[in-house]
Amino acid sequence: MITINEITIEIAGREIIYNYSEQIPAGSITAIVGPNGCGKSTLLAAIAGSIVPTKGTITIDEVHPALSTPAQLAKIRAMAVQNQFYSLGFTVRQIIEMAGPATKIMQALELSNIADRHVTTLSGGESQRVAIAQAVAQDTPVLLLDEPLAAQDIASRKRIIEFLQNLAENGVTVVVVVHQAEKDLTWADKVIKDFL
Amino acid sequence: MKRFLPALTGLLLVAAAVGSLSVGVTHIDGFWRELFHPGHNEILWQIRFPRVVAALLVGGALAVAGLMAQGACNNALAEPSIVGTSAGASLATVIAILFGVVQVGSLGAIAFGVLGALLATALTFRLASLRSGLSSFALIIVGIAVTAILSAVVGISTSMVTRADARSISFWNFGSLSLITNSNLLGILATTAIGIAIAFRIAPSLDRLSLGDATAFNLGINVSRVRIGALIALSIAAGGAVSTVGTIAFLGLAAPHIARFIYGPAHRFLVIQSAIIGALVLVLADTAARTIAQPNELPIGLVTSLIGAPILIALVAMRNTTWKTQ
Repeated sequence: MITINEITIEIAGREIIYNYSEQIPAGSITAIVGPNGCGKSTLLAAIAGSIVPTKGTITIDEVHPALSTPAQLAKIRAMAVQNQFYSLGFTVRQIIEMAGPATKIMQALELSNIADRHVTTLSGGESQRVAIAQAVAQDTPVLLLDEPLAAQDIASRKRIIEFLQNLAENGVTVVVVVHQAEKDLTWADKVIKDFL
Repeated sequence: MKRFLPALTGLLLVAAAVGSLSVGVTHIDGFWRELFHPGHNEILWQIRFPRVVAALLVGGALAVAGLMAQGACNNALAEPSIVGTSAGASLATVIAILFGVVQVGSLGAIAFGVLGALLATALTFRLASLRSGLSSFALIIVGIAVTAILSAVVGISTSMVTRADARSISFWNFGSLSLITNSNLLGILATTAIGIAIAFRIAPSLDRLSLGDATAFNLGINVSRVRIGALIALSIAAGGAVSTVGTIAFLGLAAPHIARFIYGPAHRFLVIQSAIIGALVLVLADTAARTIAQPNELPIGLVTSLIGAPILIALVAMRNTTWKTQ
C-alpha cells in the first residue's frame, strides 16, 4: 500500500502539487492520467523518493522514501523514467543485468532477439522496453513506470499491459503514468485523474 | 580473437617497456645480461629504469583519471586537463616549489599536487552546478575557464622567478620524464595505486551512473557519493602524475576511449585496460620523444598527441556505437 498524505511539492518556487492525498492499493495497477505539465511525473518521482515533498508525507508500506537511503529504496521500489537515454554502448542484456537476472524478463518483453545489441542503437520504443525490463529485474514489491506505453506499437503495448497485469496478480503494486491521450484505461484497476 | 586481446595488450606493454629500456643516446653493451643484474649498469638502472617505470605509472594514472572524469561527468570530453584537475595540481606544486617548501618529484610535491587537484576539481564542479544541476556543457565550459586561469597563474609565477631552478620548473610544467629518479617512484606508485584502487571499487556504480542520475538513484546508487569518489580517484591519480612529470594532455582523454572501443563500456574492466593502454602509449611516446631527435628531446605532450589522436580517429571511424550524445 502506498499512502500519500496531504503532500505539497514546490520546484523552483512553483507549486506543482498542492495538498494532495491518495491511497494506492497493493497488488494492483494504478494509472495516473493527465496532460503535459500537470505534475504526474513529479508525483511518481516523489513516490520513488527522488523528489522530497515540501509538505506532507508519502509512505510505501510504512517506509518513508524521503527518509530512506538509495540502497534501501532500491529494495522496495523500482522505477523506469520517461525517455531513458543511453550514452554508453552496453548491450541490452548488460543493462538489465545491472538490476537483476535478465533472461526471463527479456523473453516476456520480446527483447531476447536484441539481447546483444548496443542500447545506443535502439529505437525509442525498444529503449523504453529495456528501461521497463531493467526496473522489473530489480524485483521489488512496487513498480513505478513513467509513460511506458508512449513509444510502443499496438502489439508491444498489448504485451506490456498483459505483463504488468501478470505482475499485479502476483502481488506487485504497479503505478503507471499515462498521457491523457490514452483513451482505453480498462486494463488499470484504479485511475487517478485531476489530482491537482 | 577478442578474448586474447587483454593478454596481447599486456605483452605489448612488456615489450614496449623492455624496448624503451634498450634504446637511448648511449648504447648499453650486453643489454640482456645487464637487464637481469639490477643496479649493475648505471645508465640502465639509474637513468632509463626510473624513467620507463615512471612512464608506465603516469600513463596508467592519467588514463584512469580520464576514465573517472568521463564517468563522473557522464561526458565523453572530460579529462584531467579539461576539468581543471591538472592545472590545480600544477599550480599547487609550482607555488610549493617556488616558496621552497618542496622539491620537484618529492613526496611533499605530490601531496601539494593532489591537494591542488582536489581543490581545483571541486571548484570546477561547484561553479558548474551553481545555477542548476550539473550539466555536461557547463562542466566543460567552466573547466576550460578554471584551467585557463590556473594555467595563467602558473605561467606568470614561473616567468617572474629568476632563480636557477626556474627553467627546470618550466620544463617540468610542460611535461617531461627526464627529471625522474628512482627516489621519485615510490610517491607516484602510491598515488597511482590508490587512484586505481578507488576507481576499481566504484566502477560498477559508474556503469549505473552512465544511465543518468535519476536511473542510477532508482537502482540504489548514492549518486553524490559515487561522484565524489570518482573525483577523489581522479585527483589523487592526476595530482600525483602532474606533480611528478608536469602536464601531459590528451592521454587522459584518449586512453579510456581507446579501451572502451576495444573492450566495451563496463568500468571495472575499463579501469585495468585503460591503465594498460595509457601506460603503453606513454612508454612509446617517451621512447620516441627521447630518441627521434637525439641528442635533443621532444616535448612528450606533443608526441602523446601524435600517437593517441590518429588511433582515436581510426577507432571512431570504424565504430560509432560506443558513446552517444544527447
